Amino acid sequence: MTDMVQLASLAPLLALVGAVINGLFGRNLRGNAAGIIASLAVGAGFVLSVMAFLGVRAEGAVRVSFGDFLVAGDFNVGLGFHFDQLSVLMMMIITGVGLLIHIYSIGYMQGDEGFPRYFAQLNLFVAAMLVLVMADSFPLLFVGWEGVGVCSFLLIGFWYKDLANASAGRKAFIVNRVGDFGFLLAMFLTYKAFGTLDIQAVNAAAPSFAYGAAILTGIGLLYLLAAAGKSAQLPLHTWLPDAMAGPTPVSALIHAATMVTAGVYLIARTGGIFANAPTAAATVVWVAVLTALMAAIVAIGQTDIKKILAWSTISQVGFMVAAVGAGAYWAGIFHVLTHAFFKALLFLGAGSVIHALGGEQDVRRMGGLGRKMRVTGTTSLIATLAIAGVPLLSGYFSKDAILGALLTSGPLGAYGGQILFALLMVTAGITAFYMFRWYYLVFAGQSRSSAEYERAHESPAVMTVPLGILAVGSVLIGYVGLPAFLAPNLIQEWLAPVMAQVDFDHLSTANEWLLLIGSVVVAAVGLGLGYFVYVIGEGAAARRIGNTPLANASRGAFGIDRLYRGLFTVPGEGLAEGVSSLDRDVVDRGLAGLAGSVPLLGRLMVLLQSGYVRTYAFAMILGVLILAGVAAFMGVFA
Amino acid sequence: MVQTEYYVALSAVLFALGGIGVLTRRSAIMLFLSIELMLNAANLAIVAYARQWSAVGAQHALDGQAAVFIVLAIAAAEVAVGLGILVAIFRNRVSTDVDELSEVRA
Amino acid sequence: MVAFVILAALLLVAGIGVVTLRQPVHAALSLVGAILALAAIYVTLEAHFLAAIQVIVYAGAVMVLFLFVIMLLNVGRTRTPSLTWLKPAAWITGALSLVAVVAVVFVVQRPLPEFEVINTALRGGNADAVGEALFTDHLLSFHLVGVLLLVGIVGAVALVQQSAPAKQAQSEVSAAQPEDAPELVAAGEGN
Repeated sequence: MTDMVQLASLAPLLALVGAVINGLFGRNLRGNAAGIIASLAVGAGFVLSVMAFLGVRAEGAVRVSFGDFLVAGDFNVGLGFHFDQLSVLMMMIITGVGLLIHIYSIGYMQGDEGFPRYFAQLNLFVAAMLVLVMADSFPLLFVGWEGVGVCSFLLIGFWYKDLANASAGRKAFIVNRVGDFGFLLAMFLTYKAFGTLDIQAVNAAAPSFAYGAAILTGIGLLYLLAAAGKSAQLPLHTWLPDAMAGPTPVSALIHAATMVTAGVYLIARTGGIFANAPTAAATVVWVAVLTALMAAIVAIGQTDIKKILAWSTISQVGFMVAAVGAGAYWAGIFHVLTHAFFKALLFLGAGSVIHALGGEQDVRRMGGLGRKMRVTGTTSLIATLAIAGVPLLSGYFSKDAILGALLTSGPLGAYGGQILFALLMVTAGITAFYMFRWYYLVFAGQSRSSAEYERAHESPAVMTVPLGILAVGSVLIGYVGLPAFLAPNLIQEWLAPVMAQVDFDHLSTANEWLLLIGSVVVAAVGLGLGYFVYVIGEGAAARRIGNTPLANASRGAFGIDRLYRGLFTVPGEGLAEGVSSLDRDVVDRGLAGLAGSVPLLGRLMVLLQSGYVRTYAFAMILGVLILAGVAAFMGVFA
Repeated sequence: MVQTEYYVALSAVLFALGGIGVLTRRSAIMLFLSIELMLNAANLAIVAYARQWSAVGAQHALDGQAAVFIVLAIAAAEVAVGLGILVAIFRNRVSTDVDELSEVRA
Repeated sequence: MVAFVILAALLLVAGIGVVTLRQPVHAALSLVGAILALAAIYVTLEAHFLAAIQVIVYAGAVMVLFLFVIMLLNVGRTRTPSLTWLKPAAWITGALSLVAVVAVVFVVQRPLPEFEVINTALRGGNADAVGEALFTDHLLSFHLVGVLLLVGIVGAVALVQQSAPAKQAQSEVSAAQPEDAPELVAAGEGN
């Protein structure tokens, strides 16, 4: 059994091999071979992940060590993987959803000249993400962390010949870098405080510090900064909407299901620290809830099919981060699981629509597509209902778990847990509203562009089958996390051994039911409002408030991009321009001047060769006088 | 008897004058005259020092004067050849201006 | 002392004359005067033979040659100004270096030996004394100077030869005019 688990160490290696093959030989491969190779690599990884899951289920956590990684004097970090309940769950999500997206991509990226390069980079991403979740030490985790950042950059700017795409990739990388800076500082502090960078050791040693110790709070806040960068939370969220410039399957995999959840994973992993630093934990929740609310408001005003989903992702990840901040680590991971299914489904559905319409992405020119694209439309409806929190679908259970955690979290109580709960409830309602709008504008009602409508057709099977599988998952996967007072909560029990202990208030059964029903009511209100505005009123209400300050703020994403542009980009460009002109005008001119001084010297020398004998004689006489003077001086006075 | 230093100072003045003449004069002949003046100045210095050091090493007392004799002979030969050159150069030109002989230039 | 001062003054005036006078003949004559004054100074320096040689060779042969050439080349036309900076530069340099040399000379003063000693050593710089030095210690130099003089003579004659073809042309031209003898025409072409 232990061997089975240890075998899973090969998973990232397989993905890496796939990436290398596609990267080096992709040009020579015919047809869909590159896609098939990549899918096989990820598929094998999925099989290994399932095997590891079974192994851990039987025998508990397994550690695989490969020797030394970083050694410098007393500093010693080993290279190794740690397979426990959390990491194998993440591995299954990454490889499972990843496999479906790889298969879908074979259809979506058909005919693209960068076909092999795409799959190489996608495989590389899977490899890096796996390393991230399997790492047993912070530096190795950071290797994976950086790796997914690089792949995100590469894939966002996949169609790099368009400058806008390349710029979006660059923006993502730079904003991520700020988070990475936080990660590095956190690592330094961790080593200073704990003397080790082994994750398990750190978690075990955390309770030995004073509760709420300043150093723990500092480390926690820095890890929050890192997570905010990777998971697109305030204030480092600006890169995600721009990242929609990449191919849609990339958005599905990286910016919905896996990379953006890396921050959630990080906080869950370092739960030991956060459980003992309530200030840091509370900061996490406040940041997350505010992000979720803001993003939900912005999502209402967007008109690009993918940007709506991007802001939705920011909002939903806010839910996850809020959960892990509140101490309900299992709830956050649970929402990662359900969100992976329905958000990937939503993105792939959007991709299907974009593919069918030949590149159209503006929802104002869509409509009624559900009639023409039955599978896409149906699966997208399922995903929409799931994310809105309709009961009995997966999203309902995971959202309910998060809301319950916020309400009952012991440490959070002193930091306004009730207020946060209320805000998140409101956000859930807004979520239902804007998702209804999304679905309605794209798939239902009348077509607003007949030319587009005529062109639309259902996608090929290679794209619709993954949609179907994800839809099934969106419905059923929620049942692993049923509320504990009703039925066994499989996922909570599964993750319990690895999660830090946080006190939660106990709700009475009546209050538990109240919570469940309250979630339903909120979802119904959101959906109902959407129905009222768009179906009955045909968008009249939306148009009426279309120019209010709130609506403008929504459309313009609260002007944060403009703010960053003024604060950082413009001064940065100014500095770059200044240095560049310094280089051009000072350094280059200086060197040119130096170079030019040689001919100048030559020209001066030429003046001496005047051809006039008398000047030659004068020069000679002067020379002799000087020599004689020196000789006399040395002879007489020296 | 007059000190050697005065003779040498006089020689220096003559030499300097000759040098100035070399640099200042534009006609080739005048240039040559100045050179002759310099030669004579040098001779004067040698003879003055010959007297100064005559007490030292009796056998070599007259070395200075012998040297001047030889310098004199050389000067004569030099004048002959030099004037021959000048005649050769300036025979076909309008003026004897040295500054016009400026073909060897960069 | 008095003799020295007078002779020195004469010498200086003559030297300045060489450097400054406009007319070439005047400058040449000024140099002759300088040479004669120098000869007198040699006498005061117990170098009688040299004084005589100076007058005979320098004033008598070299300067005469100079004057011949001056007449021949007809020196002294007006000319355009050039290198105007050189004159002041030369005077300043000359003055400065002069000051330096004189200063050095007067710093290291040495006493003059007794007249008796000088007279015994130099024997008045007579012909036999100088001749003795020349023909014993400096025999090689003496002979080499002789060779040099020979070279000088040959060189001087060679320099003023005409090139052969021009000579032929001259001869042919002169053949058309029977009254002019070829040799006379060939001797000096163009003046």
